[in-house]
Amino acid sequence: MASTAEVSETLERGLTEAAPLVQNTPTVIEQIQSAFHDVFAPVFHPMNSVLAGLPNWVMQVFGVGMFVMAMVWVVVFLNKDYVNHGRPYKSIWTDLRLWTCLSMLPHVAVYLYFR
Amino acid sequence: MEVVGLHAVDIVIIGVYMLGTLLLGWWCTRYVGNAEDFFVAGKALPFWAIGFSIVVSDIGAVDFVAVAGAAFKNGVAAANFDWMGSMPAMVIAAFLFVPYFWRSGVFTIPEFLGRRYNSAVQFINGMIWVIFLFLMLAVMQWMTADKLMHTVLGWDPYFALWITAGITGFYTFTGGLTAVVFTDVVQLVVMYVGGFGLLALSLWEVGGWTSLQEQILAKGPEFQDHFKLLLPHDTTGPFPWTGIVFGLGLVLAVAYMSGNQVIVQRTLGARTEWDAKGGMLFGGFLKSMIPLMVALPGLCALVLVKDLPMEEADSAVPEMIRMLLPPGLRGLMFAALFAALMSSISGTLNSTATMFLTDIVGQFRKWTGRGPLNEKTGLRVGRILTAALIITTALLAEPIGNRTQLYVYIQTLLSFFQGPVLAVLLLGIVWPRATGYGGLAGLVLGVCMSFILNFTPGLFPSEDPFLFVAWWSFVFALVVVVVVSLLTKREPPEKIRGLVWSSVVSDLEAQEALEERVSS
Repeated sequence: MASTAEVSETLERGLTEAAPLVQNTPTVIEQIQSAFHDVFAPVFHPMNSVLAGLPNWVMQVFGVGMFVMAMVWVVVFLNKDYVNHGRPYKSIWTDLRLWTCLSMLPHVAVYLYFR
Repeated sequence: MEVVGLHAVDIVIIGVYMLGTLLLGWWCTRYVGNAEDFFVAGKALPFWAIGFSIVVSDIGAVDFVAVAGAAFKNGVAAANFDWMGSMPAMVIAAFLFVPYFWRSGVFTIPEFLGRRYNSAVQFINGMIWVIFLFLMLAVMQWMTADKLMHTVLGWDPYFALWITAGITGFYTFTGGLTAVVFTDVVQLVVMYVGGFGLLALSLWEVGGWTSLQEQILAKGPEFQDHFKLLLPHDTTGPFPWTGIVFGLGLVLAVAYMSGNQVIVQRTLGARTEWDAKGGMLFGGFLKSMIPLMVALPGLCALVLVKDLPMEEADSAVPEMIRMLLPPGLRGLMFAALFAALMSSISGTLNSTATMFLTDIVGQFRKWTGRGPLNEKTGLRVGRILTAALIITTALLAEPIGNRTQLYVYIQTLLSFFQGPVLAVLLLGIVWPRATGYGGLAGLVLGVCMSFILNFTPGLFPSEDPFLFVAWWSFVFALVVVVVVSLLTKREPPEKIRGLVWSSVVSDLEAQEALEERVSS
């Protein structure tokens, strides 16, 4: 029968040898993350490469385009009566299409300035 | 941090401001006679009051400090949240969501979801929002009392906490949304005077705009992007242009402006539909000036506060106040910070009480076979809820506010819901074919997708990919809602009549049916 000292020594040796193996074994969460990474990386990484390679003017077009498209949507595509439904009196100053443009234009100027 | 000293004149200015706010709020009590007056200001708000109130409810005292800190660290890109993250979304809200909510006569967003899908959806959505807003109230109160009033002014945090809770609680309790909105108008003026005063003095001190640019750009290569609003997709910072345009501009901002009760409730109190839409647009215009007074002083601090390390960026504004503002203006600036705090608290308080009464108490009464509360009882219960909320959140402010990890965790969790909820809300409004099963599947699977994308490292170049997570979970939820809806049985026309945008906006017969439904 092995003495206590021998058991203790064997255990210690076992733990020392197993430590690197345990450290290198991924946890369950890491395994799940790795599995999802393998699924989604082929979708997102090529997209990231394409987007990172776009010239600067493209991001300016998208940035300013957000404000311009919102203006175009209200002024061109929405029905005038719907936009101004319930206004107190008919005047150019109560036309919400004008309000939309007046609120948007400073933003367009700001995005063109800080580029 | 060295404490900012206040002179007698500063204390007088802050005291006069607080007393004036209290009296104005109390004066509004005369307009409150029933629950509709208390929760939606008797549907009598003009566009300008709505616009002022939307802006001031959105900007808190912590924003003054945090946005200036972000601009100090990342440059003007920090202003995207008030520019790209506001105006386009407010236009979409004004012309797509607001007329719809206004015409359908709902008090809350979960109430709409309940009508469009079922009462369980209303109850769950209402619970999520009430819990979130409750925690936010507690955190807002403690962070401002401790991090701002105690650290910067040297005030006892409990004194600061109870004085703000007492004043805001009193006028919200007595005057309801009317008091909240009209005190907001005054508070925005105070905020603008204080904020622009600090900006003007900061720019004067650095030698003007051109000098500011030259001095910052000369600091080194890491400051070369400090004057660019849109940064490349592969930037490791938190604001790449793709995330700003798609994640912020098209998803998070729209979800916030159209689905946040604190914002939407002001438009529901409009006297006409035109005032509701005009208020949203006017608010967007006013909000576009916020970065000038909260972000630009952060840039000026890069030049003026030379030895401030990047990790202490949030100290930029307090340092500037200490360095630049003379007695009097210093009091005005702190009155502005109090205004920002009190307006956010009162708006959140009133909205939380509205949701609690409509979506939780109301649904509970419905399930137990009891009818809705009458107007007088509704007002009494609304006031009791308001008082209970402010007292409870003030009592729990320290234990909740000190556990910032809990708040961050809940806020992150809520951000996972934004994309999928917007997809379900949007399709529920614009697409009559969307079914209950489609909405439920889109919500559940969309939130799962948010979790997966957020916790799978290495998918996006940004270190904090929350903007990308919002966008892709929104797109995914849209696809799920469409696919599952097409695979399940169409909703009967009588169920969705008057609840879909096309019928609410153009079908007169459906609108009459809707009015009957609302009045019953």
